[in-house]
Amino acid sequence: MAAMPQRGGSREREGKPTGRKKFFVRRRKVCKFCAEKLEYVDWKDVKLLQSFIPERGKILPRRISGTCALHQRKLQTAIKRARSIALLPYVTD
Amino acid sequence: MRLYDIVVLLTPELSEDEAGKVIGDYRKILTDGGAEMVHDETWGKRKLAYPIGRKRDAYYHHFQVQAEPAVISETERRLKLSDQVLRHLAVRADDELKRAAKMTERLKRKAARRPPRPAPVPGQVPAQAGPAETSSPERSE
Repeated sequence: MAAMPQRGGSREREGKPTGRKKFFVRRRKVCKFCAEKLEYVDWKDVKLLQSFIPERGKILPRRISGTCALHQRKLQTAIKRARSIALLPYVTD
Repeated sequence: MRLYDIVVLLTPELSEDEAGKVIGDYRKILTDGGAEMVHDETWGKRKLAYPIGRKRDAYYHHFQVQAEPAVISETERRLKLSDQVLRHLAVRADDELKRAAKMTERLKRKAARRPPRPAPVPGQVPAQAGPAETSSPERSE
């Protein structure tokens, strides 16, 4: 009887990772600025900033875009500056 | 002397020539104060991302100048007073650019430090990948 729960436990441990492998083929997200070696995030470059602004006008979170912490911080100030001179929207409905 | 980025938005009610003239006035204020023009570019009439004072578009102009802080504060004061200027933004750029240059240099140095890597990698990768692949089907069974 003592062997049964052990087996079940080992099955669970082994089963989960394989199950995940089946359902998610996750692409590794890479920070765009690190990859392209853009250290300075230009707040006048609307095209670049627009790629981090989804429909609603909000700033795309790091967990989705994969931007590293340093560059997300720089991107944030750049977007906010661009907003203040109406290059980017604060809100869109 | 510090590097500044200045963007000015002018009312769309002005004609193209008038807008150019107004921009010329500010250019004169900057250069008279001892500022050095680094970049001077008109973006033309652009649509605003959101209306400002019932206006849906504006003339954009971008200056990049090397100047003393006092000159910038003076031009900013005048920009605020003008009715033709919908909005403006003056931001210091040199510290950020310097930091960016430092980072790129550091990246370069890092890249230069480890060039002998690619040679051993091709041999190692299949050796590591082989057992990992065989072990995973065993687990699923």
